[in-house]
Amino acid sequence: MAQVEKFQYDNEIVRKFIIASVLFGIIGMVVGLLLALQFVWPELNFGIPYTTFGRIRPLHTNAVIFAFVGNGIYMGVYYSLPRLLKTPMWSKLLSNIHFWGWQLIILSAAVTLPLGITSAHEYAELEWPIDIAIALVWVVFGLNMFMTIIKRREQHMYVAIWFYIATWVTVTMLHIFNNIEVPVSLWKSYPVAAGVQDALIQWWYGHNAVAFFLTTPYLGLMYYFMPKAANRPVYSYKLSIIHFWALIFIYIWAGPHHLLYTSLPDWAQSLGTVFSVMLIAPSWGGMLNGLLTLRGAWDRVREDPVLKFLVVAITAYGMATFEGPMLSVKSVNAISHYTDWTIGHVHIGALGWNGFMTFGIMYWLIPRMYRTKLYSTSLANTHFWIGTLGILIYAIPLYWAGWTQALMWKQFTPDGFLKYANFLETVTQLKWFYAARAVGGLMFLSGVFIMVYNLIKTAASGAFLAYEDAEAPAREVYVKHKGDHWHKLIERKPVQFLLVSLVMVMIGGMVQIFPMILIDSNVPKIESVTPYTPLELEGRDIYIREGCLGCHSQMVRPFRSETERYGEYSKSGEYIYDRPFLWGSKRTGPDLHREGRGNKQSKSDAWHYNHMLVPQTVSPGSIMPSYPWLIDHELNTSRTADKIKVLKLLGTPYPDGYEAIAVEDLKKQAAQIAKNMKADGAGVEDDKLETREIVALVAYLQRLGTDIRPQKAADATTSGN
Amino acid sequence: MFKYIIEKAGDVNWMGISAMVTFFAIFIIASVVIIRRNPDYINKMSNMPLDDGTQPINNQETAYSHEK
Repeated sequence: MAQVEKFQYDNEIVRKFIIASVLFGIIGMVVGLLLALQFVWPELNFGIPYTTFGRIRPLHTNAVIFAFVGNGIYMGVYYSLPRLLKTPMWSKLLSNIHFWGWQLIILSAAVTLPLGITSAHEYAELEWPIDIAIALVWVVFGLNMFMTIIKRREQHMYVAIWFYIATWVTVTMLHIFNNIEVPVSLWKSYPVAAGVQDALIQWWYGHNAVAFFLTTPYLGLMYYFMPKAANRPVYSYKLSIIHFWALIFIYIWAGPHHLLYTSLPDWAQSLGTVFSVMLIAPSWGGMLNGLLTLRGAWDRVREDPVLKFLVVAITAYGMATFEGPMLSVKSVNAISHYTDWTIGHVHIGALGWNGFMTFGIMYWLIPRMYRTKLYSTSLANTHFWIGTLGILIYAIPLYWAGWTQALMWKQFTPDGFLKYANFLETVTQLKWFYAARAVGGLMFLSGVFIMVYNLIKTAASGAFLAYEDAEAPAREVYVKHKGDHWHKLIERKPVQFLLVSLVMVMIGGMVQIFPMILIDSNVPKIESVTPYTPLELEGRDIYIREGCLGCHSQMVRPFRSETERYGEYSKSGEYIYDRPFLWGSKRTGPDLHREGRGNKQSKSDAWHYNHMLVPQTVSPGSIMPSYPWLIDHELNTSRTADKIKVLKLLGTPYPDGYEAIAVEDLKKQAAQIAKNMKADGAGVEDDKLETREIVALVAYLQRLGTDIRPQKAADATTSGN
Repeated sequence: MFKYIIEKAGDVNWMGISAMVTFFAIFIIASVVIIRRNPDYINKMSNMPLDDGTQPINNQETAYSHEK
């Protein structure tokens, strides 16, 4: 028997991450509530850009994913990892650099996103300097984690640690590949991949941000904290091994289910569907393993609020991971995609799985770290019930809204016409659902405030134990025994484990992404598709800045109900110059891919001017916010030449030396559009209308989806509609 | 180089099929190996979270297994 060694666990860093998680969680949820209220009262953007839906929607998602859940992950890892390995974290300095670095990244996101600085990749909106900072801080975390594992006193790594390792290695891979971009300036870049290829890489990332940031680390936490809270080991350790390998191998393939019925080639869509359905098996294996850990102790769930939160969290995980594969079946996806159903689905995961798991762990940790009892069990129970009801009141109206929306979009009259040809009818129908959703969100948030009060009172009644004494024998030199098999060997070797995990998660990405990028036939070229003009390009960047893709898709799916409403379905060849792609994932407003001049749903330049100024003047009952600053702000053309240069570098076929005359071209086109607007009575009092941002945005909107009928579009431009 | 190889392959469906076959092979082999594992080892691993080298909060925190 080796000599027993004494050491200490650092609770201080765990407490810091708890405070950060709660603080940023509240901010993220308050922003979410504001967004929910803007669906009912669009004027709650207060007429300013920084609080308008398109800009603060990514603030909400980033705050909740990376600040609330991110800090929640670190809270759990910094508590459980040293205890499972019987050694302190390797470096206190690195722990603190990780903590402060991550908080600085969150603060930079909180500043840049409302300013409209975004790369438009969902859940990866932050621009390139922040991407680099994320990579550095993530490496600091990884280094600290791996050195701790290497210095461990336990011979073998418990399954929770496997989930932490898989999280680290996969997020590293996803973050790098989804952020390969060429900078135009400090706060603007264009991705290397374009159109359908950019879309595939983004949703390979986007889906796996859910998988490897919101799921696998939390499964690791489940495998540690559920046994702790229940005071019994996990139901089946064998099942947890199968759960782990099956989950990480399959999850990475599921990304294309976000792109069903789009221009993505069928083979990639099918892979996404098949692997998504397969995901039910490992996901439910994990859920059952978590719940059955309580076998023989279910009576304790009645009394212990920690177990209540964990049980509902794991149940929500089970529900969301059953619903997800169902939504990936093409016939279901044809109904659900772009509707509020998806928003309801993700919030079962976010509020139920991540939220309740985080709260349960916090209720368990704080009394232990303060060596006291929870201040009030009844307040914790109140939080549990108000939170649970909040989730239901949030999600059920959105499911209902989603089905209503989809049915209205697809409804034809007996004569064969769209019954709700005006998209707005399908929006105004949903207002009450949106109001109910806001009530559900408010209830959930109220529960968090109750928890904060309860935990502060708990802390006040105890004494914080910053460093907890522990002892364990030193790790013995391992002697290989006959019969040791491969898995036992990699469980002792973290680097090999990391490499095997990396290979497992790379297979799916490689099989889907390599052929998409390397085989030309996957993106059939269309002769008439040309690059954006400088003015359209600037307008497109305004569209990105304002986050228009948060409410409008640019992808007409090949359904009769969509081609009737919008026009010809979208082809992958139409997007080859789209950096980044802007297909969107939600239709609060109509699809815009055929919005351009001369298309079925096109409007005049003046209509767009008035619509952006006060949407309700041309669309009574609309819930779109107003964008008065677009009317006043002058278009910044100081970077236009640089943008053209970067796009040329990436393969957009602008003529040689075009960057030198791009601004000149821009002004000519702007003058024509300003003339069109004034001819129809819009902006007549503005002497400098042709210099305004609105002109660039309208140029872009009028270009959308016109490439496949270029002659008509050109005619319309010169004739002023 | 890679482009040449993939283009020569003609149809990419084989890649998806081979990945699924790989998955099922690994899944089945792993399941068989894991099911035949030493129960003492499984028991020790599954009790790991309950033994972190600190003083137990109360005397109920003792080892227990579902998988005997």
